[in-house]
Amino acid sequence: MIEAKGITKRYGDLVAVDDVSFRVERGEVVGFLGPNGAGKTTTMRILTGFMPPTDGTAEIAGFDIFEEPLAARRSVGYLPENLPLYPEMTVTSYLDYVAKIHDVPRRQRRDGIDRALERCGLTEVRARVIGNLSKGFRQRVGLAQAIVHDPPVLVLDEPTVGLDPLQIQDIRRLIVELASPRDGEPQHTVILSTHILPEVAAICRRVILINDGRKTVDSPLSDLTREGHSLEELFARETAQDLTAPLGREAPAQRDAAGRRSEGPGEPTP
Amino acid sequence: MKHVGNVAGRELRGLFASPVAYGVLSLFAVLAGFFFILGVAWFADLVMRAQQFQAFDVLADLNLNDRLIAEFYGSMSVVLLFLIPGITMGLFAAEKAKGTQELLLTSPLTIWDIVLGKFLAGAIFVGLLVLIVGLYPALLFHYGDPELGKTFSGLLGILLIGWTYVAIGAFASSVTRNQVIAFLITFVLLLCLLLLPAISELGVAGSAGPIGEILRYLSTSPHFEALVKGLVDTADLGYFVLMIGTFLVLTKAAVESARWR
Repeated sequence: MIEAKGITKRYGDLVAVDDVSFRVERGEVVGFLGPNGAGKTTTMRILTGFMPPTDGTAEIAGFDIFEEPLAARRSVGYLPENLPLYPEMTVTSYLDYVAKIHDVPRRQRRDGIDRALERCGLTEVRARVIGNLSKGFRQRVGLAQAIVHDPPVLVLDEPTVGLDPLQIQDIRRLIVELASPRDGEPQHTVILSTHILPEVAAICRRVILINDGRKTVDSPLSDLTREGHSLEELFARETAQDLTAPLGREAPAQRDAAGRRSEGPGEPTP
Repeated sequence: MKHVGNVAGRELRGLFASPVAYGVLSLFAVLAGFFFILGVAWFADLVMRAQQFQAFDVLADLNLNDRLIAEFYGSMSVVLLFLIPGITMGLFAAEKAKGTQELLLTSPLTIWDIVLGKFLAGAIFVGLLVLIVGLYPALLFHYGDPELGKTFSGLLGILLIGWTYVAIGAFASSVTRNQVIAFLITFVLLLCLLLLPAISELGVAGSAGPIGEILRYLSTSPHFEALVKGLVDTADLGYFVLMIGTFLVLTKAAVESARWR
C-alpha cells in the first residue's frame, strides 16, 4: 500500500531524511516514532505529496508520487500536525469542500460526509462554524477531513496532541476502527506519528523509528516488547538520548537550531 | 483545471463570511456616490457658466462622456487602488497562516487550479465593484444621452484595471504569510504602476527616449485612458492580458516553491 524507496530530503547541507525505505501492507497500522526534528513530519509530507524528496521516490496505493502525483494524492488522507481548517466554514461545508477537491463525485459526497461525521462523532455539531468549536471537536474535524474521501491510505501526524484523556481514547478507538477489516476486507492503511508511546502500544502493530533522518527500527511491536523491554527503553536506546546516563557523562551530542544532531567526534553510535 | 470553480467558490464564501468584503463593498458604493455627485455638480456648474457667458463653442463641446463619466471612471480606478489590496491580501497569505496550504497542496489539485481559482474569486469580486460603478452612468441614460459605446468601453477599462490589480495582489499574497505585508507590497506595486508616466515626465535623462516609452507602456494609466476615451485597441487589451498573465505565472511559481522548501 505504501512503499518508500530510499527517500532523502536535503535542505541545503542539512539532511532531514536520509535514505529511508519501508513498506506498509494493506490494513496495517504503523507507529512512526522519533524525537522532535528526526524527520517524521518531513517523511509524512513527502508521502502525502506536499513536497517531493530530493532523492528516492515513494508509491502510494500503487501510484508513484512522481509519475502519477494526482492519483497518489487522491489516495491519501492526511491529518497534518497543524489542523488545516477554515474557521469561518461550517463543519459540513468544510467537509464538502475537502471531498470536492479530492474528486469525490457529487452523488457519493453526501454519503461520504455523513459517514465521516458519524465516525468522528461530529453529527451533533455538523452545522456549527468550525472556529467556534472546542479543541477536541476541531481535532475530530481534522480527522474527518482526512477520511471524507475514503482514501486507502491515512497519514496522521500526532492525531491526539492537545486532547484530554477521554478524547484521546475516542480518537484511538476510531483509528483502530478505521483499520479493522469490514466485510472481511482490510480498510485503511494507517501511518501514525506520535510522541505518546502507550498510544503506539495501544493501536499499532508495527513500529518504525527514525532518528536523525535515518530509519533505525522497523519491526512488529510484539518482537520489540517480547524480551520484556518497554517501548520507552527502546526509544531511549535507539535515539541515544540516554535517559539513564549517569551524571557527568559526556553530553550526548551537539544539536543545531533545528534540533538535529550535528556530526561530531564524540557521537555515540547506536 | 476542473477545480478552479471549487477553489474560487470557497474563496468567495470565505470573503463574504468576513466583514472585509462587506466593508469594501459599502465603502466603494459610498465613494462612488460621492464622486458621482461631485462630478454632476461640477458638470452642471460648467454648463451654467457657459450659458451665462454665451460661450456656445464651449457648450457645443460639452458632453457627458468626456466631462463627467470619464472623470468619474478615473476617480474610481484610483479608489480601486486602495481597496483591492485589502481583498487580495489574504488570497494565499491566509492559507499559509492557517495551515490550510497543506490541505491544498496534498489534495489532487494542480497549482494552476489553486492560482486560477483564487484569481477568479478576486475577478468576480471586482466584477461586483464594476457593477456598482456602472449604476451611475446608467442613471445618466435616463436624464441625458451619453454614448453607449464609450460608457461601456470605460467600464471595460475599470474591469481590466481591477483584474490587473487582483493579479498583482495575488502575487504579493503568495510571497508572504503575513496579510499586512501582502497589503503593503500590493499597494506599493500598484502605486508605482500608476506613477510610472509621472516618473518618465520628470525629465530624467533618457526619459524621452526608449526608457520613457517603456515606462509609459508599463503603466496602467495610458491603456486605461484609451479605453475611457472609447478607443478599444488590441494593443491596450494586450497590455492587460500581458500584465495579468505575467503576475499569474509569477504567483504560480511562488506557490509551487512551497513544495521545494
